[in-house]
Amino acid sequence: MYSLSRLGAPLLAALMFSGPALADIEISDAFVRATPPGVDVSAAFFRVHNTGGDDRTLTGASTDKAATVELHTHSEQDGVMKMRRIDGIEIPAHHDHRLAPGGDHLMLIGLTQPLVDGDRVELTLQFSSGDPVIVTAPVWSAQTEMDVENRIEENKHHHKMP
Amino acid sequence: MTGSPLKTLRILLVLTAFLMAGMTAAFLLRPGASETSSGNSLRLGGDFQLQSAAGPVSLSDFRGHPVVMYIGYASCPDVCPTSLAVMAQGFRRLDMEQQARVRGIFVSVDPDRDSPEKLAEYSAFFHPNLVGLTGTRAQIDQVVQQYGAYYRIANLDNSALGYAVDHSSRLYLIDADGQLNEVLSHSITPEELATKLRGLL
Repeated sequence: MYSLSRLGAPLLAALMFSGPALADIEISDAFVRATPPGVDVSAAFFRVHNTGGDDRTLTGASTDKAATVELHTHSEQDGVMKMRRIDGIEIPAHHDHRLAPGGDHLMLIGLTQPLVDGDRVELTLQFSSGDPVIVTAPVWSAQTEMDVENRIEENKHHHKMP
Repeated sequence: MTGSPLKTLRILLVLTAFLMAGMTAAFLLRPGASETSSGNSLRLGGDFQLQSAAGPVSLSDFRGHPVVMYIGYASCPDVCPTSLAVMAQGFRRLDMEQQARVRGIFVSVDPDRDSPEKLAEYSAFFHPNLVGLTGTRAQIDQVVQQYGAYYRIANLDNSALGYAVDHSSRLYLIDADGQLNEVLSHSITPEELATKLRGLL
């Protein structure tokens, strides 16, 4: 439902010639959920583009805004949502993978402060090989998120890197 | 993300559900079936009492108001807030007069982490007409059973969360007389929900 994974060859080509040559991993569409009062957990979502020739695995992350960051996934069985911790998320060579609502996400546990629409959270992502990747994600309220999701749906065929 | 075996399983489940619905209908409509035997055991919904920050609350207190109810837990980072946001956005698509009449109920099945006071703040974050309720395990289990919902505490030994709650994620549309009108998927859009609510106003 949320998967926008089929990007055309022209886009992949464009990606390979964009960013710095050292980075095989590009992150886009990152955001973190704003927290309702009293809640000290949140979720971060983004798209990982693996523009290199080697498979890569996202193995962990950290941020100064939360005590712990874990990789989690959701599965739905017979209408029951189950959230579980996972060890890694593999992104095959020349593919991209979206951590999206209802699926994979970074779970931020033990937030040091409430996350409010408009804040920014710096996340350091660790991969099985290569340097950590730092991404700054905006905090979005559910309303902002819905507006953006709608825009992504509408612009599905005109997706471009920020 | 969803493998095709899962899709096949889902199709089989849907077909099974249709089959069972057909068998149930045949049973209920069989010649000589009495009105009384067709009733309560099969009908979902009904009154219940839970705890709010302001004291005990029953569904019957909402008489005169169409209600959308969701059953989940506050430290659910993704599915629950998304569903509650859909509910709130559905309310906001109504005109002011209609919006003033609808109510939302968020039932937490995680009373160990979610006090009524915490739930009051949590719910108001989404919409002023959304109330957060919880209760004793027995009270919670009664609501869950009455509405055909499901939850299970799942210990996560490998996570700082300690445990998560596996749960069904549906929006229960209840009419102004307290009768369960429809059980909705959480993937419903705010516009679709607003349309259904207008039908109950």
